[in-house]
Amino acid sequence: MSTLTAERPTPELATRAKAPKRRRLRGEAKLHPMVWVFVVAVMGFSLIPFYWLVNTSLKKGSSLSQGELFPSQPTLENYLVVFQNPEFLLALRNSVIIAVVTTTVALVFASFAAYALARLKMRRKAMILTLILSVTTFPAIAIAAPMFSIWREIGLYDTLLGLIIPKLTFALPLAIYTLTSFFKEIPRELEESAYMDGATPFTAFRKVILPLAVPGLATTAILVFISVWNEFLLAVTLTTSPEARPVPVAIAFFSGTSEFDQPLGTISAASVIITVPLVILVLLCQKRIVSGMTAGAVKG
Amino acid sequence: MDLNRPALPLQNKARNRKALAATAIAAALLLSACGGGAAPQGAEQAAAADPASGANASGAVNICGVKDASGIYKGTAEAFTKANGKVTAKYTEIGATTDEARTQIVQRLEGKSTECDLFVTDVIWTSEFASQGWLLDQTKLVEANKDRLIPSTVETTKYQDKYWGSPFFTNAGLIYYQKDKVAKPESWQQLYAEAAKAPGNGYVYQGKQYEGLTVNFLEMLYSAGGEVLNDQGDVTIDSKETRDVLNFMSDGLKNGSADRAVLTYNEDPARLAYESGDFGYQRNWPHVYRLLNATPLASSFAVAPLPAWEGGKASGVLGGWNLAISAHSTNQAGAVAFIDFATTPDWQKHVAMDYSQAPVNEAAYSDAAVLEKMPFATELLASVKAAKPRPSSPVYPQISQAIYKNVYAVLSGTASTEEAVKKMADEITTAKASF
Amino acid sequence: MALRTIPPSRGPAKTSGRDRAERKLAFRMTAPSLVIMALVAAVPIGYAIWLSLNQYSVRTAGLSRFVGLENYINALASQEWWAAFGQTFLFAGLSVSLELVLGTAMALLLNLAFKGRAVLRTVVLLPYAIITVVSAITWQTMFQPNMGLVTNVLSTLGLPGGDVVWLGEHGYAMAVIVMADVWKTTPFAALIILAGLQVISAETYEAAELDGASKWQTFVNITLPLLRPAIVLAAIFRTMDALRVFDLPFVLTRGANGTESMSMLAYTQLRENRLVGEGSALSILTFLTVMVVSVIYVRFAGGNIRDVAKEEQ
Repeated sequence: MSTLTAERPTPELATRAKAPKRRRLRGEAKLHPMVWVFVVAVMGFSLIPFYWLVNTSLKKGSSLSQGELFPSQPTLENYLVVFQNPEFLLALRNSVIIAVVTTTVALVFASFAAYALARLKMRRKAMILTLILSVTTFPAIAIAAPMFSIWREIGLYDTLLGLIIPKLTFALPLAIYTLTSFFKEIPRELEESAYMDGATPFTAFRKVILPLAVPGLATTAILVFISVWNEFLLAVTLTTSPEARPVPVAIAFFSGTSEFDQPLGTISAASVIITVPLVILVLLCQKRIVSGMTAGAVKG
Repeated sequence: MDLNRPALPLQNKARNRKALAATAIAAALLLSACGGGAAPQGAEQAAAADPASGANASGAVNICGVKDASGIYKGTAEAFTKANGKVTAKYTEIGATTDEARTQIVQRLEGKSTECDLFVTDVIWTSEFASQGWLLDQTKLVEANKDRLIPSTVETTKYQDKYWGSPFFTNAGLIYYQKDKVAKPESWQQLYAEAAKAPGNGYVYQGKQYEGLTVNFLEMLYSAGGEVLNDQGDVTIDSKETRDVLNFMSDGLKNGSADRAVLTYNEDPARLAYESGDFGYQRNWPHVYRLLNATPLASSFAVAPLPAWEGGKASGVLGGWNLAISAHSTNQAGAVAFIDFATTPDWQKHVAMDYSQAPVNEAAYSDAAVLEKMPFATELLASVKAAKPRPSSPVYPQISQAIYKNVYAVLSGTASTEEAVKKMADEITTAKASF
Repeated sequence: MALRTIPPSRGPAKTSGRDRAERKLAFRMTAPSLVIMALVAAVPIGYAIWLSLNQYSVRTAGLSRFVGLENYINALASQEWWAAFGQTFLFAGLSVSLELVLGTAMALLLNLAFKGRAVLRTVVLLPYAIITVVSAITWQTMFQPNMGLVTNVLSTLGLPGGDVVWLGEHGYAMAVIVMADVWKTTPFAALIILAGLQVISAETYEAAELDGASKWQTFVNITLPLLRPAIVLAAIFRTMDALRVFDLPFVLTRGANGTESMSMLAYTQLRENRLVGEGSALSILTFLTVMVVSVIYVRFAGGNIRDVAKEEQ
């Protein structure tokens, strides 16, 4: 963990975009022990309720009501039950499709829009920003019922596409705002020199901005994916059959033995299971979040 | 200063205006389509279900309702299909919780959907749905089946002197108690007194700010002789009985009969608390019996019907589910046939034996096979027969909120009994005057 | 540097042809997003606005009357609305401040290079990855009287709060809801702020060190100001979400003990009471409240969004 000195990459457009990623360290040779205390505290804070969830998922029957810290008879039965539930597996498939498609399309559309907002001349940016914000601010509950009727009319009810479209709509504002903010951070000089080299704005966008905006893109991808994955209200309003239901709705349909029962064991198990794709996504993306810009090249 | 003003912004403006106009037109079209302009269609205009049609029914029948936790809906649909031969019945789960199911049902009824022929409706939804003209009038059908249905359960489907559903299975509160610690409660006063005697004797009930609190409150109020609405529909909740019950419940929390924790309990947390063994009494629905039997408390608990208020008759509140026929159903005959099947004494026995639900047929409670599976059937029958429906009104949700919010305020100490009663009466009066 | 002496391509000396091309490109690049949002959101939003101007009878089917702003006036005159308004703002104020502070701290931590940081980053995101309702149930269980994890630990350690019925007491209930929200969404703020940290180059820190600044001085005078756009962005979204909170109070307390939020009021009127006109008006009032707060943020807190909005072209 020694400090690396920042290299100076060449000013060539092509190589700059492919400049080697390096760790950007804060100049720490070693970590202060207080920091480790803090690390442990943060991990504890994040994990305890999650631990409780896992704890509950390993219990069944009457032991669910004893507040034991460790299950006295841990059992994987809840997980088995969940995995053997064909509706849950269908819901997993649905959620993956919906989340992947929505995130990808949102990233593409939003990065275009963010670039235009952050960099290009355009009229009425303030109005556009306000309109975008209002889309995401409008309470979903007020539009759920109208959407239900409209979707039934046009045949999108109870379909995956019928879920992707509204989720995309409500994910775009977050994505656009986040990317606009991050695109704005990228120094203009980089594009200027691209223009000098004869690039069009769109090429500058593709070859200069996008590679440098990777932390912003990765962050946005994670945030959009998670929000789409966990969204419940529209999902429950616009679907009715297991073929179209995403995972949060499927979990709600887990039944106990009576109408008053909340099957905490299986709900917990399912909730743990569905964090796995999210964990994989984050593990894949987390390096990109801090891959850093070769800002040293510009400011020197 | 650019002399040649770029044409592009104007083009953009024109394009924007066109887009705006197109959206506005589309919106207007949609609105006019949804706005209706149809004449009001309420309970008065509703068509009646013909009891005789069931015999010649054929085709498919779709029953929609809440998540089928106990398996009773799917089981009944399958058994009916097998027994009938001409009609095939299917159950579709459309809501994960009772509230969610109501939303889904309302959405379909408002949208005049033909997807569902029958809805499984909570007993408190009947007046609402009937007043909107969404259901078929089942008065003749209920008359025809009168002999096999417990009268109190039939009353849950009544609105404006007609019947809008057939009871499928019912529900009434029971008191579970620890035989070794406390005595069988003969009155509410005795129950609370016993509960206060020792810390491990406490009483748990559903005291969270939700519909369940209305049920718990009314169970006592009815027995004390009070009511919310009288037969003419006037608001009569501002009464001595209401004040007595509120004071009684509130005192119970203060002197240790009930733990303050009940303010956070609905059905399941109350059951779980009781299962920990730290309490003496529990008010809950019959489904808890089977669950308690699977715990270490199995040998030490007993069941009693809800006690009476001192000086009053034992009473209670009816829960349960009805079968309502959608006014837009495309197979009314099939729906009638299904209802006929579901209410037969024979099937009602299965309702008890196979699905642990409370039947609406009185004979089922004394059947030997049923008693084996449900040893508390006699107590349950007593509770069911003594119970009354909750206030029947299209604005029942608002009435219930007025009750549970104000009762909770008294229990949690943020309002005095006097204030709460006045507020309840005001809010219910306002609700009843709803447009 | 040679780059700086060349006039920026946006100067008046440039032809308007370039401007026109740029605007055209800008239009094309924003169009897909705007079209989708317009098509999908405009009609339901318009319909909801229309609904809020009417009253729909709950006792007689099909009957409705146009009442203009009456639903809004009734709502604004009701004590319930203002109680919910205050409670929601209290919740939002507490949650968002905590989330920003903890989020910044978390981001600084995640930015450090040490073995196992990949694990830390993943672990830290887990709370955000759980479904809100499930997390609400988990917190409810942890704070259950007598049996919950927290109440158990507190009583065992003899700390105050062990015998309190958290979700049944004014103040305590709000505390649980705030904790649950902070736990779940601090990672959101941390992620955004972490990405904002990437913008600050190593040289900036080195220069500060050379100037003899202490870690704290560097943090306050250099890092924080440079982080401002990210913090403002996180603040905008977190505040918007916090002001619209629904799941947490609904599951935990049903709005009792001073925890009813504006969204809960709207839900009750819209869904439970089927008072569609009144409920839509409440939803729109909530929406307007959130919009006003967001716009105030953007205008006064600064950040990149404000810069973009102020661009005159």
